Amino acid sequence: MSGFEDVNYYFRKAARVMDLSANVERMLITPYREVKVDVSVTLDNGELGTFIGYRVQHDRSRGPMKGGLRYHPTVDLDEALGLASLMTWKTAVVNLPYGGAKGGIAVDPSRLSPRELERVTRRFVEQIHDIIGPHTDIPAPDVNTNAQVMAWIMDEYSKFHGFSPAVVTGKPVDLFGSKGREEATGRGVVFALEEYLADAGAGEVRGKTFAVQGFGNVGSWACRFLHERGGRVVAVADWRGGVRDPEGLDVPALVAHARRAGTVAGFAGSDAIANEELLLLDVDVLVPAALGGVLTEANARDVRARVVLEAANAPTTPAADELLAARGVTVLPDIWVNAGGVTVSYFEWAQNIQQFTWDEDRVTAELRRHMREAYATLARVAREHKVSFRTAAFIVAIGRVGRATVLRGV
Amino acid sequence: MRDTDVRDIVRSVLCKGLSVAQADQLVKATVPVRVAAGRAVLNEGDPPSGLHLLLRGEVEIKKRGPDGRAQSLGTIGAPTVLGEMSLVTERPHSATITALTDCDFALLTRAQFARLIAGESLAAYKLLATIAEVLAGRVARLDEKVLELTAGKDCPAPVGELAAFQRKLFSEWRF
Repeated sequence: MSGFEDVNYYFRKAARVMDLSANVERMLITPYREVKVDVSVTLDNGELGTFIGYRVQHDRSRGPMKGGLRYHPTVDLDEALGLASLMTWKTAVVNLPYGGAKGGIAVDPSRLSPRELERVTRRFVEQIHDIIGPHTDIPAPDVNTNAQVMAWIMDEYSKFHGFSPAVVTGKPVDLFGSKGREEATGRGVVFALEEYLADAGAGEVRGKTFAVQGFGNVGSWACRFLHERGGRVVAVADWRGGVRDPEGLDVPALVAHARRAGTVAGFAGSDAIANEELLLLDVDVLVPAALGGVLTEANARDVRARVVLEAANAPTTPAADELLAARGVTVLPDIWVNAGGVTVSYFEWAQNIQQFTWDEDRVTAELRRHMREAYATLARVAREHKVSFRTAAFIVAIGRVGRATVLRGV
Repeated sequence: MRDTDVRDIVRSVLCKGLSVAQADQLVKATVPVRVAAGRAVLNEGDPPSGLHLLLRGEVEIKKRGPDGRAQSLGTIGAPTVLGEMSLVTERPHSATITALTDCDFALLTRAQFARLIAGESLAAYKLLATIAEVLAGRVARLDEKVLELTAGKDCPAPVGELAAFQRKLFSEWRF
């Protein structure tokens, strides 16, 4: 399945509701710039390593472009393009003054030493430094990239352009990073759920049951915030296995276990559960927080959760999306639900530009405000036009990007 | 047609405020013109000839469009007034008038009219006032039309597909 085509499926669905012409659709979908570069370095053993780096910049009508950098063997132009366009719509849904971009290097970082990883990163920045920048394109962490990688990017970019902390976000808190950035996506996911529950008159997180797939940064923080609010996380799985406790898992103990063991599997006092089984549990809320494409035509009919909270990017295939909607399962869409990460990245960038730091309470309060205002708009569009939250989110995004585009002129 | 009949048409169609004597004065200043069916009474672009009072018959009015092709603006039958503008302007005729049937006209030429004005003819001044009234009415209607066409367009409205997209986003899909 091609990343760009999946994103375009949902885009086109919204475009049909809005009755856009084919030429306007093409104008909005077409990326601004696609860049492919050679990243050659000398490896520790003296051999030459050549990798391909990508940066796709999708739309810049609403501001500098923003999106992650991932280091993974499967990174290619199509995936980067799909994710870059998703960033355009995501930043528009939460109304950040950004456009969308995405990129990365086709490399397996687990086969690189830390010194090789640093050289690869610096070489990549050397190759793309003239198309990124604090007011052009601001990368961020993604799959297999972290705060340390962002620190190297900031340092390398600053060698060319002078001191530039705002060229990249997700930096270490000790190097112009923002408080609350690490937990931002997980926190935003829970804020999103709370907005929906309050609006739907469906109560609060307390007492509700949750199944969470994925226990990385997003899944583990989402579990912690749900647990803090009295939610019962009855099952959690990662790629190595899953655990289940109908009474609710002890999340802080599970986090400690996962940190030691490198997986949630084997957590004391819980039963084992397979990933596929977890998706079909009879819970109030299912939280896919790992890979894309896990809810498919094959299993969507058997999902028993009332709400799917899309913490991961594109966890639901278009076919599954239709099946869930037909069965009355509410899907809270990724482009709004997991926008907390890029929202706090925006706060980090704003703090860098202002040379002024915020405390964590301010970061949290501003994040809640962005998630709340985004929901108010998309819920209104969903009601008025009788469309799903996902289609409403795309309509809101297309409206904002489209207005900026026509006001600037073509 | 008898002069008295022409006088009645002058008083009812051309200028309502004329006394019998004043109407007779205008009738005397006209010359009878007969145009056979199918012939042009006057041609678009010709120098202004004078006021044509159609006494009998039916004519068609045609005007050339931007592509140069003549378009029919309609037909009109007696009694009616044609070419009254040519008494007060030197602009060429703005339309072609063709006789659909055999037509009788009383033609008041620009020269005759100028002579009456020079002689301070009250009838000529009354006719002038009537023409002014007709023109004022037309200008008022034109003003309304201009307003209608330009309402809400302080800056030139964009056209085309992008403009349609813009209108959509700023009306139905504004949020």
